[in-house]
Amino acid sequence: MEEGDSGVKYLIGRSAGKSAVIAAFIATHVATMAGLWFGGVRLPQFNFNMLNGWLVLGLTADPVQTFVIGGIIHYTSGIIWGVVFALIVHPAFGRFIKPLAALTPTNNYIKGVLWGLVLWVISSALWMPLLIDPLFGGGVVGPFLTKFGLNGVQALFANLLWHSIYGVNLGLLFNPTPASTRSSWRGASGVGVR
Amino acid sequence: MAQRTLLVYSGLFLLGLVLLAIGALTHPYRVGNTPGSEAGESLVALGLTFVIVGIGYFLAWANPAQ
Repeated sequence: MEEGDSGVKYLIGRSAGKSAVIAAFIATHVATMAGLWFGGVRLPQFNFNMLNGWLVLGLTADPVQTFVIGGIIHYTSGIIWGVVFALIVHPAFGRFIKPLAALTPTNNYIKGVLWGLVLWVISSALWMPLLIDPLFGGGVVGPFLTKFGLNGVQALFANLLWHSIYGVNLGLLFNPTPASTRSSWRGASGVGVR
Repeated sequence: MAQRTLLVYSGLFLLGLVLLAIGALTHPYRVGNTPGSEAGESLVALGLTFVIVGIGYFLAWANPAQ
């Protein structure tokens, strides 16, 4: 852990911004890779890189180009949502949900999971039906992702799993705690990330 | 308090395992891109969600800064 000037220390970095960017990048990458592996557990594959690529390049562009450009957009979105969480939503959760006010690893984790749920709702209710559905000519994505191509409501729950993986990782890695806390991961295990 | 936390993450994890088992063992699964049972795959996804949230809760609780 590294201690900043604000009386708060972070698992990664010395400031909320730096910690948020790195935590969000890791969370986005873990969730993205998990989504590509969903087929291994008999779930519909979630390839957000391609979906984002198709949004900007159309369906007929080169697949490699679509994957790379879409991946850049997708990772940027994931990092921005993480920074929004860390700098705005995380403190707001603490103010409006009193039991989550204390900066403890468990509270930070619960806030991350809640943020994952919020993003799941945004993705399922708005992003998928309003942006992805018209891309395929309409009728492909059901309201609140109750249908996605050949898939039915399992797409909605697979999307929940994807966003939970993001929220879990974000909540565990963006972990501000009071600087006065004596014990830390580095103290306990001898490791740390600068 | 520690006892209650232990119960919470154990409960989440076990609930996930049960949902996962029901979904995976009692419903037909997909072959390639052709979806299997809608309910079965939904249970698998929901079960894995609970398992992952339960494991994460344990990891957060086990943080020495807690």
